[in-house]
Amino acid sequence: MPSINPLPPKENALFKRILKCYEQKQYKSGLKFAKQILTNVKFAEHGETLAMKGLTLNCLGRKEEAYDYVRRGLRNDLKSHVCWHVYGLLQRSDRKYEEAIKCYRHALKWDKDNLQILRDLSLLQIQMRDLEGYKDTRYQLLVLRPGQRASWIGYAMSYHLLKDYTMALRILDEFRKTQSVKTYDYEHSELLMYQNFVMREAGMYKEALEFLNENDEQLLDRLSVQEIKAEILLKLNRREEAAKIAQALTDRNPENWAYYKYLEDALQLDNVEERCKIYSEKEKKFPRATAPKRLPLTFTTGDRFRRLTDTFLRTAIRKGVPPLFVTMRPLYTDPAKVKIIEELALSYVKNLKETDYFDANCDTSEEKEPATALLWTYYYLAQHYDYLSQTQKALEYVDAALEHTPLLIELYVLKAKIKRHAGDINEGVKLMDEAQSLDTADRYINSKCGKYMLRANLIQEAAEMCSKFTREGVSAMENLNEMQCMWFQLECASSYQRLGKWGEALKKCHEIDRHFSEIIEDQFDFHTYCMRKMTLRAYVELLQLEDKLRSHPFYVRAAHIAIEIYLHLHDHPWTPESEQNNDLDSENLTPAELRKLKRKQKKKERKAEEEREKQLAEQKKREQQNKKSQDNDLDGPKEEELIPDELAKTDNPLEGAIKFLKPLQLLSPNLVQTHVVAYEIYSRKGKLLLMLQSIKRGYQIDKDDPQLHTCFIKFLLHVKKVGELSEGVKTVIEQEVGKLTDNKPISRINQEFLDRNHNSLPHLFAGGQMMYLIDPSTRELAIQLATTVSSNVKGVTRLVCIDVLDSLCKGDFGMCEREATDYQAQCHNIFPYATAFMIPDNNPTEPMLSNGSAS
Amino acid sequence: MATDGESVDVDLHEENGQTTKEPKSKKHDSGTADLEKVTDYVEEAEISSQSIGDVMKAVSDQQKLEVAEKQVKEKELTKVKINKDDVDIIVNEMEISRTVAEKTLRKHKGNLVEALVALTD
Repeated sequence: MPSINPLPPKENALFKRILKCYEQKQYKSGLKFAKQILTNVKFAEHGETLAMKGLTLNCLGRKEEAYDYVRRGLRNDLKSHVCWHVYGLLQRSDRKYEEAIKCYRHALKWDKDNLQILRDLSLLQIQMRDLEGYKDTRYQLLVLRPGQRASWIGYAMSYHLLKDYTMALRILDEFRKTQSVKTYDYEHSELLMYQNFVMREAGMYKEALEFLNENDEQLLDRLSVQEIKAEILLKLNRREEAAKIAQALTDRNPENWAYYKYLEDALQLDNVEERCKIYSEKEKKFPRATAPKRLPLTFTTGDRFRRLTDTFLRTAIRKGVPPLFVTMRPLYTDPAKVKIIEELALSYVKNLKETDYFDANCDTSEEKEPATALLWTYYYLAQHYDYLSQTQKALEYVDAALEHTPLLIELYVLKAKIKRHAGDINEGVKLMDEAQSLDTADRYINSKCGKYMLRANLIQEAAEMCSKFTREGVSAMENLNEMQCMWFQLECASSYQRLGKWGEALKKCHEIDRHFSEIIEDQFDFHTYCMRKMTLRAYVELLQLEDKLRSHPFYVRAAHIAIEIYLHLHDHPWTPESEQNNDLDSENLTPAELRKLKRKQKKKERKAEEEREKQLAEQKKREQQNKKSQDNDLDGPKEEELIPDELAKTDNPLEGAIKFLKPLQLLSPNLVQTHVVAYEIYSRKGKLLLMLQSIKRGYQIDKDDPQLHTCFIKFLLHVKKVGELSEGVKTVIEQEVGKLTDNKPISRINQEFLDRNHNSLPHLFAGGQMMYLIDPSTRELAIQLATTVSSNVKGVTRLVCIDVLDSLCKGDFGMCEREATDYQAQCHNIFPYATAFMIPDNNPTEPMLSNGSAS
Repeated sequence: MATDGESVDVDLHEENGQTTKEPKSKKHDSGTADLEKVTDYVEEAEISSQSIGDVMKAVSDQQKLEVAEKQVKEKELTKVKINKDDVDIIVNEMEISRTVAEKTLRKHKGNLVEALVALTD
């Protein structure tokens, strides 16, 4: 007993009971025993008892007292490993892992062989990815407990994670020597599969293959074994054997595209004829399988493609397969194929209308096609034209389909989508609402409708829509947050951003960020669980996934929204009025609509206010109830409440932005966008070298990215103007800029950029902007470049044009009201449905919702 | 998370030898508790082998070797002389911690420009 203050037997017994109570979660009784010890004047300041009392209080949710007691206990007995361990546990419960690790280390100083503390420490280390530390701790555990399976596996895994594969394999080998294998031992099989996984990561393919063959009898996950073998054999270029396995795999599951890839890789046929043969054989064997019919469409061309596509489309249309277009969409990268598909579909329409057959001159003795065939052809064509941005035609076909079958939900969904793509979100909402009203029990349509509403900035309505499926008694917003429903929160964030409600938008972004933290937190459970269950492959994959969790598109998008807002808040600090004077969504609304919308919003705000009060009352009630129930499940520390106004009021918006930026830089360095926003942040901080860093990194990905180009030009202009620099910094900038520009003048760099990308609107726009920035006298030419709408130029899309219009209105090219109006009219001609280009007052449509459910 | 239901392992209550109970998370307590009981015995099963000693030796030799190597490397790095002002510049310009700044500077033999160029990559 290392404690400086050992208790006499009676009190010692009591202390043991405190520990027992803690383990059995009988916290109340634990406190009673603690009191019994502490009321004795002699032991009133007994460190370990005080610490345990604190830990017990922590479990009852009395955090502050907990810290007081534990700290007091520690002060009274600094040499007790119990006190340090308890302090570590307390820190850990607050997710202060770094601190907790320190505490455990102190605890180990006083009791270096304490298994429990070592185990706890190793868990924290793997959670924090302190791999070196983890390895050391696992080593100590192995030394102390060489008889335990987990000791060996944990130690081997620590080497694996450090990428020291040889050592990891050696340990696993040695460990396996000690194992006796039962028949049908799934855990042993998993261990073998794990060892194989390590071998493959180490690039030891030959050994890995031999390993699989040697241990074949003990491997129970047969499918994985086959898949792994196919992959290894392909890597080893043993193609014949690979082909055999691939054949078996495709026979096992003829719908898995990956297996056909194995097969093709193994056979390596460059002749289309022969490649088709593989698939036609499979088709004969599995006449109902889709994959062998669909896959040849990717590599065939011309007449063969037409013939195969014809059959494929007919089967699907006859059967009525709604996602047919989704299956075909990947083929749309090839214009020739698009043309063939279009011709086929149009001929179906013609013939089905006239004769009820797909062919014009067909064998009339055969059965006629079902009436729905025409409907699904219309449906396909509408999607086809929508994808090609031919709104007019898309609408024609979807309307024809609606006339054919007026109550088919898919058609309303599609029409809504066409309208949205054309830039008229309000019509989209109206249609989606109608779709939703046709089947209110369908959560998919319900969610879609909610999403469209958010796109139209109808946040309150969207929440109400979604509330049909969320838990009762809680507001939809709250419930969707609890459920980590990130698509919804992301759309909300965008919506608030468009409305200029910076605080609300930031709140959503932070909520999403917290979900990601939560997911990383949830890993903790698996560190022990997976080791025990031997699900080692899955465990390592989980670790690898968690390591790059924030590269997920949800995070990336949320981070970009947050950064944009923080940048805005830096440029225009928050004032109470600024929220009201929000620059509303220019994408979808005309001034007339804006006024109406604002009126509506006022009303909504009042309503929201009432709602909030109601919720507050409810929450209080719930909290009280919670307090009553003694066994409240404290799941981690209580997070600080996110208050929109407080978030918007931030006095250091750039730091806020950097917090969101860091994970992007770490995990999404391959996205140019990451470096563009990094530049925007650091340019506002005036950190030249970090600006340079962003540009260098962006340049490595895509030199010709339009946004990066604007950053680059701005940087060069900035460097020219900047005054005194320290010697080192100056040298670095000169040297690196020289490398990037070959010391060409700025205007020439811009011109070369324009020349390289003369047929792309986003590039012309960026180049034009910079041209004006470098030399305002080039204004006319610059505007001309940015407002190109020629059909020879790629990328004349609605969204790019909106950006151009915005830029003109914002004054990026000086005052140009006339040019802006002209441009708007021009765009209106190209995108007649897009509300953004409507000339005010020509369009009195009000976003009316058809069935009142969402007003 | 996995905090509350955990045992604080102290000498005092180790009457029946070491507790081998792993810390359990609350979440798993409810649903899988029974299942865990069924399989937990594996954890207790001792490995019966003569070769443990040899293996342990091999393992610990490796461990010692690694520690020694690491020390050599670190020693080499600390030998490099660096200028405090240079570190200040790096910390300020690149917004990184002092330790990282020092390490990078040492890696580049104290050459400020080279260190900065590397950091902007």
